[in-house]
Amino acid sequence: MSAIVFYIATVVNYFFIYNILAWGLNIQFGYAGILDFTYITFMAVGAYVAGVTSLGRQQPGTGVTYILGWHLPFPLPLLLGGLAAALLGLLVGLLAINRLRSDYLAIVTLSVGIIIYSLVGNLTGLFDGFDGLVGVPEPLNGQVHLGVNTYTIFYMAVTGVVMVILWFFAQRLRSSALGRTMRAIREDVDVAESFGKNTFRIRLVAMVIGCFYAGIGGALLIGFVGAFSPGGWSTLETFIIWAVMLIGGRGNNWGSVLGSFLVIALLSEATRFLPAIPNNAFLEPALRNIVIGAGLIVVLRFRPQGILPERKAQFSEVRAARAGPGEPHAG
Amino acid sequence: MTVFWLSVGFGFVTASVLALASVGLSLQFGVTNYVNFAYGAFLTLGAYFAWTVLTGGHLPLWLAILIGSLGVGVVGVVSDRVVFRSFTRSGFPLFYLLIVSFGLSLILGNVVQGVWGPSPQFFAVVSQYPLHIGPFLLTPAQLVIIGVAILTMVGVHLLLTRTRLGKAMRAMSDNPALAQVSGIDINRVTTWAWFISGTLAGLAGIGLAISTASFEPAFGENFLFIIFAAVIVGGIGQPYGAMLGAFVIGMVTEVSAAIIDPAYSTDLAFVVLIVMLLLRPQGLIPARGKA
Repeated sequence: MSAIVFYIATVVNYFFIYNILAWGLNIQFGYAGILDFTYITFMAVGAYVAGVTSLGRQQPGTGVTYILGWHLPFPLPLLLGGLAAALLGLLVGLLAINRLRSDYLAIVTLSVGIIIYSLVGNLTGLFDGFDGLVGVPEPLNGQVHLGVNTYTIFYMAVTGVVMVILWFFAQRLRSSALGRTMRAIREDVDVAESFGKNTFRIRLVAMVIGCFYAGIGGALLIGFVGAFSPGGWSTLETFIIWAVMLIGGRGNNWGSVLGSFLVIALLSEATRFLPAIPNNAFLEPALRNIVIGAGLIVVLRFRPQGILPERKAQFSEVRAARAGPGEPHAG
Repeated sequence: MTVFWLSVGFGFVTASVLALASVGLSLQFGVTNYVNFAYGAFLTLGAYFAWTVLTGGHLPLWLAILIGSLGVGVVGVVSDRVVFRSFTRSGFPLFYLLIVSFGLSLILGNVVQGVWGPSPQFFAVVSQYPLHIGPFLLTPAQLVIIGVAILTMVGVHLLLTRTRLGKAMRAMSDNPALAQVSGIDINRVTTWAWFISGTLAGLAGIGLAISTASFEPAFGENFLFIIFAAVIVGGIGQPYGAMLGAFVIGMVTEVSAAIIDPAYSTDLAFVVLIVMLLLRPQGLIPARGKA
């Protein structure tokens, strides 16, 4: 098995995981208009919970401390990770989603993220603080016994199956009555409310489902990487997933796939082949993030709906009314 | 009791830094009506600018502080002109501006990381002997921070009440459309708001770096939610509310450190933020039409 196949399999795994992460954020923002500025925190909770429910009892003498220490068979840590993230999403949603301006939602979620980050870092008994979890067992490798390279290819099937299941659910949700109500709320809360919709509860549902996706993505990530620490989920990591979702096209799950491919596969992974910049090891990863940030701003400015815009229901009267000067459509 | 008064003294220092930062954020929010999530990165830039001028240029500290702060003021104006203005002019909805400012935060944070590296830096003035002033124990640098903050607050008050620019800012904050038809040059006022906001952010960042001993590329972003807490406690978009909120949050976080583990004292700012949002989201001094 050549190194290039192993490398491509690694990138594909990341691509699949970021698809799941982007769909979750798309359900929150693209469907329901929730400005979640700490999405990465829910991914982290999913990763940690999947970690501590698959690592087994903590080894004395290593100094690594964490809660639970269960050793559950494969699909259970994944599900528990997703559910833990969904539960946290419910709590944050109850706190943040109300009838205030969207600025406040963004402020509260961002603050929640910084607080949870510092708590996880300082309370070392929780998930081993800033050192983080290491040596998380590879899902199902207790059964299949594969080497590192072959396992990476096998894991592609694992993430692929989970991804396909979540894809169908996200697509079904989008066209369901619940999903259509979410999108109505996104367009205009007051109108949706006047049609008798409980906008608070429906946005809360979108928040929780999105967080479940984030948790599943995190659980798949820790199973793949085997380690996880606060260095991997700083506040600005949230922005990468926002960029994936918005560059592709919000509200459109195909757009998230395209965005995930562009941002993760091309920019983050393919650029690792470029020669390192001499004398400054920090410049290259910094430049990569600067390109992502600037790329998103440019896309939003010149193609506000993203590269693959959401296909909206068309009504001839509305189209006639819109024939006037086109201004970016409120979301 | 001694510990209590010591922590009140530190409360004044934190409140001073917070007041500079919160007034800057509030002033820009009032005029433009959107929150700048890159504001934390502005604080970081201020600290790095001043540190570079001080250690690289061998200039006196007061000049380094001045150049560092004004430098961030220029960054504020450039951010507005290059990034935000192109979105506001085309009438983009609010959430675009929030996400764009979040993106700008990523860009600026990584510029700092790329240029100065991730390791912590510190100002040499930190190692000074503290002085006894009444029941308080403060270093000369901390006293200077308090003094600068008080002078700046008086300056902001005079700006808002005595100058045409300040009155125009308050008019735009109350009703931008009415301000425009009254003949106020809203482009010029917006540019000034960004310059003053950036300068205050830079000043606060330098003060924060001096009072917390060291700084690294993420230190401003991590402080941002404490600024949000102060601004929301006071009433968003209200410079006077921001001063009050800064005092409340500064005192709460420092005095609590005498009672609970200091590692969690800033988390208390978050608790105050949430309680305020649940009970009185418009803040102690509400601004009309902003909540």
